[in-house]
Amino acid sequence: MKKNIFYKIFFGYLVIICLSFFFLDLFVRDEVKNLLTSKIETELFSYAQLIELNSSEKIAKQLNQLAKISNARVTLIDARGKVLADSEKDAAVMENHLNRPEVQEARLKGTGKSVRYSSSIGIDMLYVAVAVKDGREITGYVRLARSLRDVQNVIERVYQSFFLAMIIVGFMALVIALIFSYSLATPILAMERFTEKLRQGHPVGTILLETADETKKLADNINYLVEELQSQIRLANEEKSKLMTAFTSMTEGILILNAEDKIEFVNQALSNIFSEQYGDINGKTLMEAFRNVDLQKAFLDFKQTRINVSCEITLGNIEPVILSVSISAVHGYPEEEKTMIVFHDVTRLKKLEQIRVDFVANVTHEIKTPLTAIIGYLETIKSGTTVNNNDAKRFIDISLKQAQRLNRLLEDLLVISKIELGELQFRFEEISLRDALEGVIPLVEAKARLKKINIHDDVGENMPHIRADRDRFAQILVNVLDNAVKFTSEAGDVYLEAVQKDNNAVLSITDTGIGISKEEVQRLGERFYRVDRSRSRDLGGTGLGLSIVKHLMIAHGGRMEIESQLGRGTKVSLFFPIHKA
Amino acid sequence: MEEKRHTSSHYEIELQEIKNGLIYIGALTEKAIQNAMKSLSERNSEMAHKVITDDDEIDKLDAEMEEHCIRLLALRQPTAIDLRFITTAIKVTGHLERIGDMAVNIAEKVIQLNEEPKLKPYIDLPRMADLVVEMVNNSLDSFIRNDLNVAEKVRQTEQITDDLNEQIFRELLTFMMENTKCIHRALLIMHVSKNLERIADHAKGIADMVTYMVTGENVRHQTRDDSAKEPA
Repeated sequence: MKKNIFYKIFFGYLVIICLSFFFLDLFVRDEVKNLLTSKIETELFSYAQLIELNSSEKIAKQLNQLAKISNARVTLIDARGKVLADSEKDAAVMENHLNRPEVQEARLKGTGKSVRYSSSIGIDMLYVAVAVKDGREITGYVRLARSLRDVQNVIERVYQSFFLAMIIVGFMALVIALIFSYSLATPILAMERFTEKLRQGHPVGTILLETADETKKLADNINYLVEELQSQIRLANEEKSKLMTAFTSMTEGILILNAEDKIEFVNQALSNIFSEQYGDINGKTLMEAFRNVDLQKAFLDFKQTRINVSCEITLGNIEPVILSVSISAVHGYPEEEKTMIVFHDVTRLKKLEQIRVDFVANVTHEIKTPLTAIIGYLETIKSGTTVNNNDAKRFIDISLKQAQRLNRLLEDLLVISKIELGELQFRFEEISLRDALEGVIPLVEAKARLKKINIHDDVGENMPHIRADRDRFAQILVNVLDNAVKFTSEAGDVYLEAVQKDNNAVLSITDTGIGISKEEVQRLGERFYRVDRSRSRDLGGTGLGLSIVKHLMIAHGGRMEIESQLGRGTKVSLFFPIHKA
Repeated sequence: MEEKRHTSSHYEIELQEIKNGLIYIGALTEKAIQNAMKSLSERNSEMAHKVITDDDEIDKLDAEMEEHCIRLLALRQPTAIDLRFITTAIKVTGHLERIGDMAVNIAEKVIQLNEEPKLKPYIDLPRMADLVVEMVNNSLDSFIRNDLNVAEKVRQTEQITDDLNEQIFRELLTFMMENTKCIHRALLIMHVSKNLERIADHAKGIADMVTYMVTGENVRHQTRDDSAKEPA
């Protein structure tokens, strides 16, 4: 950088210097030469004319003297060109001089001159010739010659001074170029280092320059830009971190597709929902990631219009997740429009909704069934015409039975709502599992005997005491045992076992009955939920038994677990907290 | 240069389109099997009818996909992995279409079954259906991810579905021998089971094609030979 600037300045100067000398030479050299030559010429002419005034004989005699005075070579030539006398050479050996240009010129004009390179001396010579006249007729010529060595010498001296000046100026130019380039390069270099650091992302402050020229202004602008840029970056980062925090902390799943419809971003909530089932879905298309027809259809709809689309999809087969999906556009640069998809898990909501709908339908149905029977029979009795006493008694019996059933149903419902509202009073005490069972098993034994079902009571004496309400405990067991007997076919078995697990006494009731499918096990304990509607009502239930058990177990601080296999049987495990003595 | 890059990226988009289209057909067939089996377990004939009508879309998409693949073969003249991908796509879409047809077969039998009382609680059949759906699912997964391990898993599961089919067959045979009245229903259930087993075969076919696509090696007859040799 510095070198570059230096070279540019220095060579610039050098060119200017060389050019100026070149033009100086062009204009001065000829001028000086002409000036000096014409001066010598004038001098020689005046000598020649002086010499010409004498007669030829006289000249020939004084030739050497004349040459000395005029400081020139003097030659006397006759009209035909023959050399009569010469101050430096023997005239006898000299050739005819008539055709010399200065002689020719003198023959025509009276005077003549010529500059020629003299081969005999090896230098430029100035020849001047004057015609010697006798009246009108030319009788001969006087020629003077002088070397131009002096002229040459003067010019050489001038050029020597020129050359010296050139070297001095060149040296000065070098120094000035160095100073200039240094003062120019320093701020530029500083700015370069500064921007380089900025480019590499290192933290930079401001750039300070001690100059006051354009570079200062440039540095100020750079400072301003850096400041602006950094505040923009800070702002963008802040916005980004706000958004990312929102994305990662919200419970809704968020997914962003890039312009090529590939998944670019998945937030934590969504990857939690899907990671097990779908693995890493980054960089895949929607279809590859979820393979869901409804979602793809919604997405294609959205792509056509780019208007927000909402839909509901079900993912997974065994444990389906119901998601409410909304697709919207992320506005970006043209050709780079991204898509955001928000997933909201509504599985629980849907389930609750289903339970509520079922509950209302069931409760009305359960109440309506006995009422229809009661009303029917009562109307028959009221009409009074076709009934005899026996029939009337039978009708009233049936009506009473149905009314009792209705009453039982409402009582059960009341119990549940009381437990839920916390209004049911419990008298918790320390009871022995063994003793409690003694009181309960006879209650269902009669029914079991009818179906030839064996109840195997394998509960040992040494089980720790549990904390329970004696009456409610009986209610729980009766309900569960009743179910076990009810749903086991003739000559089946019901096993009662107890084990201690952690802080719980686990009483399990296993039957060899019809069993319940996996999906339906989850719904047991819902009010009025029946696995097989037609059959269990025949067996005389209200549909609230297990629901009551479930709630009572919760009130006892325990829980109920059900395992079942279709066609093999069901195992109900009751977890009672152990009384801590 | 610019022009070349443009065309090649367009070509990639076309390949991606084929992939997406295949997955779409796959998702439809998966749903068809699931719904057919659901209509059986829930005794929902309406759903079974829907499976039958929805199959038209699968057939239509299959034809479109095949045409799309052939056009790409003609226009782009792909080589190596791309060529294998497209030929595989043609075969996979055929398998998927057949699977859809089998779901329709099942749905038709379900409609007949639902007109009569339930013969017995289904135990092995739903298990088999779960396995088969998983196989189809996995075979598509292996296709999407070029995953040979998953393809291998599909091939191994196929044997289990064969065994289950056998077991169901024997169980129904005893039912039929005990009570001639249930022969019709038992035969229908047998049809369902048989169709599920054939779906499993197609899933294995897809897995084999995926192995071919990834490695360029044809494993179809090789494994069939191996399994044929084993009992001997």
